[in-house]
Amino acid sequence: MNSLWSSLKEDLSLTDWVMISCALIMSLWGVFCIYSAAAGSAGMGFDYAFRQTAWLIFSIIVMLMIMFVGHNKLLEGAYPLYGLMLMLLLLTLLAPKVKGAQSWLGFGGVRFQPSEFAKISLILTMSKFLSRYPPLDFKTFMAGLGVIMLPVSLVLIQPDAGSAIVYLVISFGMLLAAGTPLKYLGSLIGLGLGTVPILFFFFLKDYQKNRILVFIDPMRDPLGAGYNVIQSRIAVGSGGFSGKGFMMGTQSKLKFLPEPHTDFIFSVFSEEFGFIGGMILIFLFTLLLFRIILTGIRSKERRCKILVSGVASWLWFQMFESIGMSIGLTPVTGLPLPFLSYGGSSLLATFIALGLVASVYIEGGNSKNGF
Amino acid sequence: MELLDSRLKLFLWSISLSVFILTGGLYFCQIYQGDKYIRLAHSNRLRLVRFPAPRGEIFDRNGVPLAVNDTTFSIMGYPLDLNTPEKLQHLSKVLMRHGIPMTVSDLEKTIKQQRLAPYRVMKIVPNLTMTQMAELVADYEFPHELFPLSVWRRTYPAGTTAANIIGYVGEISENELKLRAEDGYTGGDLIGKSGIERSYESVLRGSPGQEALEVDARGRKIRVLDAEAAVKGEDLHLTLDMGAQKLAVELLKNWKGAIVAMNVHTGAVLALASSPVYDNNPLAWGVSAREWNAIMNDPERPMLDRAIAGVYPPASTFKAFMSIASLEENAITQSTMISCRGGLRFGSHLFKCWKHSGHGSLNVIGGLQHSCDVFFYQAGLRTGIESLIKWGRKFHLGEPTGIDLPGESGGNIAGPEWKLRRFKTAWSGGDTVNYSIGQGYMLMTPIQIARVYAAIANGGKMVTPHLNVKGYKNPEDIGINPAKLEIVKRGLEAVVSRGTGSRAGRFGVHVAGKTGTAQNSHGDDHALFAGYAPADNPQYVAVAVIEGGKHGSSVAGPLVGQMLAHLLSH
Repeated sequence: MNSLWSSLKEDLSLTDWVMISCALIMSLWGVFCIYSAAAGSAGMGFDYAFRQTAWLIFSIIVMLMIMFVGHNKLLEGAYPLYGLMLMLLLLTLLAPKVKGAQSWLGFGGVRFQPSEFAKISLILTMSKFLSRYPPLDFKTFMAGLGVIMLPVSLVLIQPDAGSAIVYLVISFGMLLAAGTPLKYLGSLIGLGLGTVPILFFFFLKDYQKNRILVFIDPMRDPLGAGYNVIQSRIAVGSGGFSGKGFMMGTQSKLKFLPEPHTDFIFSVFSEEFGFIGGMILIFLFTLLLFRIILTGIRSKERRCKILVSGVASWLWFQMFESIGMSIGLTPVTGLPLPFLSYGGSSLLATFIALGLVASVYIEGGNSKNGF
Repeated sequence: MELLDSRLKLFLWSISLSVFILTGGLYFCQIYQGDKYIRLAHSNRLRLVRFPAPRGEIFDRNGVPLAVNDTTFSIMGYPLDLNTPEKLQHLSKVLMRHGIPMTVSDLEKTIKQQRLAPYRVMKIVPNLTMTQMAELVADYEFPHELFPLSVWRRTYPAGTTAANIIGYVGEISENELKLRAEDGYTGGDLIGKSGIERSYESVLRGSPGQEALEVDARGRKIRVLDAEAAVKGEDLHLTLDMGAQKLAVELLKNWKGAIVAMNVHTGAVLALASSPVYDNNPLAWGVSAREWNAIMNDPERPMLDRAIAGVYPPASTFKAFMSIASLEENAITQSTMISCRGGLRFGSHLFKCWKHSGHGSLNVIGGLQHSCDVFFYQAGLRTGIESLIKWGRKFHLGEPTGIDLPGESGGNIAGPEWKLRRFKTAWSGGDTVNYSIGQGYMLMTPIQIARVYAAIANGGKMVTPHLNVKGYKNPEDIGINPAKLEIVKRGLEAVVSRGTGSRAGRFGVHVAGKTGTAQNSHGDDHALFAGYAPADNPQYVAVAVIEGGKHGSSVAGPLVGQMLAHLLSH
């Protein structure tokens, strides 16, 4: 027991406190935003903030456990975990629909979204696979794509296009970090862009097409999807330089904003904390992402470098998309803003990923290889 | 490794670039265009208006209108524009001047009740006539932000005559809003609350129109940004024959009970009357809580549609079913003679026949003709309860007929399993004896009885009763031996031509049927009659149930006779 404690203490002393501090500051800030957002729309502010806090505490504990167990152990079990995740994703297809998609699983009173945890399993599997079989020739590159496409197609059936895009971005980032020849990656992008019109005309549901068209011109559908974009932009814009102050936002309080505590949390944030608040938040995100990448550069192991690139791609993309969406830079997808959006599954998955990165960092420090 | 590290450094550059883009976007939105958005947020200029769609109209089989739409006017406004006490005070003053008694607290209540988003239009004063509306809007002090909207009010020309069938509409309740969240209703919408209005809600409803507008600082419309026209709901044509329905209601005038008339081959319902009646017009226009409570607490229960939800012991009308089951199970044949001495001793109990002096020796035709209880006691004991239940299930007793109306009851088929579950005691032979004359635990609705008699009349096919002309479903053949069915039909003819039901046969058509008198522990016995005509080539079936009518033969029989005569002569 004593040795357990001392090794935990050693781990903690070697941890990247900068990264973890960024995550904690943003999460706490998020709890306040959730309180403010839900207070207006449902009068549920305290309720939501309390639940988010409980999830945050739980997430921190799980992160510490992951740090202690270490990324090496988890990488060993990566393939069985991958199989388990595929099964859970299959199971969700049997679950009842919530808001038109089957992405939730109930488990003894707690509901969670397997699609969030599948991101971690995907990262573990890909880093193991890509370090064992570097995608340097066409055949291994194609095998890597196969590993990616299984979970992507399962979440597409749910249908949860948002998660599918995140999986693709994570995978692309990891392929890039693993040293895939640029001509392969280039043709992948070309292929992707080539299928966009086909997807658009044959596979996208009407509401998805609408979101994209509305992104191009919000006034196209001011009754429906465009309305949210306009109102979100008004919320962010009216925050001005210094914001309206905590709990003083009118757009979310008067129910102009849809889903203010989840998808549009950044709109609530910006309305109340203004440009200054936004700059601080973006700075915290940037610092966190830099620390994650630097952890990879510092590490001596191939698979660790690939692993952190996956985590960074994931958090970067969701941040960019969610903030961009609220000012009309990117189309509406309904992806949560990491650390800030209300939602236990997303918060827990994010902290598990940070636990993995922290574990990589600790190992790098142990072998006395500074930056 | 070098390659991997150079790739990771590429990440750092990409992150920096994206952060630069986001910062630029935020700068543009919050600093460069900040003033514009602050102004927009301050007086949010976007408004949504919803136009209710006219509901589909309802007609009987001859095109007689049963539910139509009238135009009335509502005064509409946005919560945003009525957010200060002064504004409400002013509005109340103007309304009062035109004889609309709405105080500030009334207005506050109206606004609060609709609990809408501030930019969504809401109803402030409903149900104004054209003159009232014109006077009000012409008032120079009438607030600019408010405007009149023509809306549809549902009217039921047939009123009490068909209220139990047509039902009525009303404003959607909070609970219904939650249940039908995906169907695009909002507070203040009308929704079918009962009857056809409810069962065909999705057909009748249509789809509402919408408009998104930009308004100026004083709330006046500047331009329409987007519009969607309202689409009227589909009209509905019913199988109902208002002539027959009027007659049925008239016949029931002094009674509590129900009359059902149906085509024996298709299940098309021509009359479905329940008494006492209620008027659906005031319910659709909105009644006060007091009036509503008066209707709901009326001990006569006018809102109960006795034709489909009133459950009664079928009494002797059940003997037609008993005859079929006993013959089919070979418990009796046409030549089986049973002797009635006025009662049957079973165990320690004496089960009496209604004719205390006894009927003497009878076969099944005589048993039906004279409605001899002892004959059917014996037939039931010989057949056995399990076989009776088996045949009951073939006739779908104990389950709703599937008529296209909400709130139908399935009655109760009872039986040993049910009794064990319900009373924790075993089924006894005495229960079977009672069951055999349609008394005891067995309960049926008038529409169920009509369906059983339709099957007898049409050669053993169970039809699905329906009111929508498009509601026909192929009947289900339950496989009754035609020769055995013929015996039962001859028995039912004998009931009217020379037996207990002769009074049903005095209206010029050849009726076959069966009387019934159901024991009622709460008062006078219920009178029943179920019959079809013409007996040799059946077209229509009719059933009458009169609560406290005492004798099926004298009270219910003539009602069915008149219904069938009317249907065959028109």
